[in-house]
Amino acid sequence: MNIVYLTLGLIAIYLYVSFASLLWEGIDRKLVARMQRRIGPPILQPFYDFLKLVSKESIIPRDANRLFEIAPILALASSIALLAYTPLGFEPLLATKGDVIVFIYLLGLIAFIRVMGAVSSGSPYAQIGAQREIIMLVSREVPMMLGLFAILWRLSKLGVEKPFSLGTLYQYNIWEIGTPLTVVGIFVLLLVFLLWLASEIEVGYFNIPEAETEVAEGPMAEYSGRHLALFKLSNALKEFASASLVVAIFFPWGISGHIGLTGVAAMVLDLIFHTLKVFAVLFVSMSVFRAITGRLRITQAVGMFWSRILPMSLIGVLLLIIDVLGVIS
Amino acid sequence: MTLPFLVILPLFGAFSMPIVSLLGKKLKEYWAVIISGATFAVAAKVFYTVWRNNEILLYTLGSDNPIGRGVDFPIRIVWEVDLFGALLALTITFVSFLAIVYSLGYMKHDTGLEKYYTLVLVLELGMLGVVITGDIFNFYVFLEIMSIASYALVAFRNDTWEGIEAGIKYMFVGSLASSFILLGIALLYGQYGTLTMSYLAIKIAENPTLVAKVALAFLIGGLLFKSGAVPVHMWLADAHPAAPSSISAMLSGLVIKAGGVYAIARIVFSIFNPGLHIYLRTFNAPSVNMDVIGWIIVFFACLTLLVGNAMAVVQTDMKRLFAFSSVGQIGYILLGIGIGTLAYGTKVGELALAGAIYHIVNHALIKALLFLVAGVVIHEVGTKNLNELSGLAKRMPLTTFSFTIGAAAIIGLPPLNGFASKWIIYESSAMYNPILAAVAVLGTVFSLAAYTKVLFTFLGKESERVRDVKEPEKSMMFPMLVLVVAITVMGLLPWQISDKIMIPAAKMLEQLNGEYILALLKFIGGA
Repeated sequence: MNIVYLTLGLIAIYLYVSFASLLWEGIDRKLVARMQRRIGPPILQPFYDFLKLVSKESIIPRDANRLFEIAPILALASSIALLAYTPLGFEPLLATKGDVIVFIYLLGLIAFIRVMGAVSSGSPYAQIGAQREIIMLVSREVPMMLGLFAILWRLSKLGVEKPFSLGTLYQYNIWEIGTPLTVVGIFVLLLVFLLWLASEIEVGYFNIPEAETEVAEGPMAEYSGRHLALFKLSNALKEFASASLVVAIFFPWGISGHIGLTGVAAMVLDLIFHTLKVFAVLFVSMSVFRAITGRLRITQAVGMFWSRILPMSLIGVLLLIIDVLGVIS
Repeated sequence: MTLPFLVILPLFGAFSMPIVSLLGKKLKEYWAVIISGATFAVAAKVFYTVWRNNEILLYTLGSDNPIGRGVDFPIRIVWEVDLFGALLALTITFVSFLAIVYSLGYMKHDTGLEKYYTLVLVLELGMLGVVITGDIFNFYVFLEIMSIASYALVAFRNDTWEGIEAGIKYMFVGSLASSFILLGIALLYGQYGTLTMSYLAIKIAENPTLVAKVALAFLIGGLLFKSGAVPVHMWLADAHPAAPSSISAMLSGLVIKAGGVYAIARIVFSIFNPGLHIYLRTFNAPSVNMDVIGWIIVFFACLTLLVGNAMAVVQTDMKRLFAFSSVGQIGYILLGIGIGTLAYGTKVGELALAGAIYHIVNHALIKALLFLVAGVVIHEVGTKNLNELSGLAKRMPLTTFSFTIGAAAIIGLPPLNGFASKWIIYESSAMYNPILAAVAVLGTVFSLAAYTKVLFTFLGKESERVRDVKEPEKSMMFPMLVLVVAITVMGLLPWQISDKIMIPAAKMLEQLNGEYILALLKFIGGA
């Protein structure tokens, strides 16, 4: 029976997140347009785009192999699986101890599947895009993992049942610790995570693999029709899940407790509130960032990750560790 | 008693092969398949018996009692099979059976096949002997049977220069290693006057002399050669690419395990048991300091897994890449064994040992699959140079799929079997010493890079070379798909397998209460 509820829950979450993430894309496009004194598309534009792509013919290049067609399905499947491990205002559906590794793994896997699909297309543009995507993937995950593991380690010190589960983010709030060192550390890590989020969804500085003007959409160069629609959807889901992670770590407050709701109603309310927070985080990390910055070269981006963001993450983590070890009391 | 048939069957198959091959052209191949299939069935039976009863099988050759008449020590050759040995026997027979089925198609264009099948069965026989024996000289004999068969098989295609070169290198280095092992055994025999492993364990505990330590050094040194640990891995990187692919699958999947890491574990835990010597030391009795051995193994393990995996990244020859990756994976197994020795008797040590045993089985399956894939590619395309192989995926989708599964499993991606065993090794090494875990993870990063490179080669744009290739015949496809299924199914039940099989196997190998010795001692009235 439990499995049935889980499945239904996952389907419901999937439908909701698909709607919310596509809606956010529309809002984002509108906001960026307004920042540049354009009127912009209607808010529901991504839905029209999606429906149009689904209805169009999918062209398979002559040089492509089977994986070219399978990759979009695999990517969407991994994104849906990712939702089962994503904190969405309440504990993830499949929260167990150590599930943070599954979360990171699935997030990396989606990018990797995109790359495999791109390599399978046989197009040199896609190949270049794929190489860039792999380089970015390798660079961006290290500071994020460092920060995430440090935060979960710090929370597990407070005594939780499921250490290293994303569910613990709702048991204890990282700000509650409240010592000056932690607060500074968390602010540093917040910055790291916002930059990571921007690179995860590839906007602004980090819009490198897809770089429309340089390599003609990069990994997605050969995709069309249904396959492209699936990729767009899985990207939107991934965007929402990544932002959810940031929200769950840094802004995990719910409102259902304050007005005394319980059960399904509380979950729905928390989910909606969580969605608003996700939109807020994405507004900073995506819309504003996209509107005010241009693309870096791939070497600059890699340099930025290893020589700026990784040390930043290290500093944040060290501050957390020093606080726990009580070196400075 | 089914145990003797584990050796009788392949021996019978090998010796009858010259006669059978006179009877008909195709018959010898089917004969080899039948014999190895029957051996697999016997191994499954033995494994099931040991696993269900959870006790060590002891079989005496020539009598029902290993103890000589009128004396109170064992004089006969005994075979002692614990769960570790039985598990290895099962793996060996399984992979050998698949490799022989694969040879039906793969070796079709070669001549001298009756010798080939004889040698393969002898190789299987040697490995089975190594994993079931409880007598150290008998162990040496089986080790040599295995080694000599593998020298001959590496150089089997003696019209190619690389086969001969690799064969000579392997033979010289391997013979030297074997002579180290023989020297170690001779020293032990001279000092203690017995060759039965479990009795030797008692004797060494009674009087641990310098000779015992020197012998241990010779044995470990020789066996590190045989397992391809790093300073002495160079034969492996030549032998595996040069051998026919069905043989590479057995060499990499089985030979370096049975004749290398299995034997190290057996000698460290059954002849020089760390627990026994820690116990002696608490009474201030003379003892062998097994921590030194543990650290030596860990040192070579770290070196092996870094160098092996890092060298795999830069290869352009597919089989050479797989061979270096085998070296790297041996590093993980040695790391597990080393930590199992260092943290003997604790939860961590047991976990590390279980991880090592689990990884032996997993790597045998995965690497066999990868080498079979490489064989298919060589057979169909005619090159193993990765720069010429771009874009195989379009013409050989099933082969590419098998490769993808194998590569993902060896990196250790979650839904496949490599994940659980590597995870256990990471976990136990992190609990023992985080630096070792960091080294292990670094090794995996290299291996990820190496296999991603090959995967992208398979998927990329079609090159001229692969324009008109096709999938191989069914007898070559079948073993690969069986291995894919085995890897996936094992990957879906990782913790069940770990709890039901690997942890008990580790416990029996650790023999916290001296079970391996007691299995023999119960014959010596009342002890």
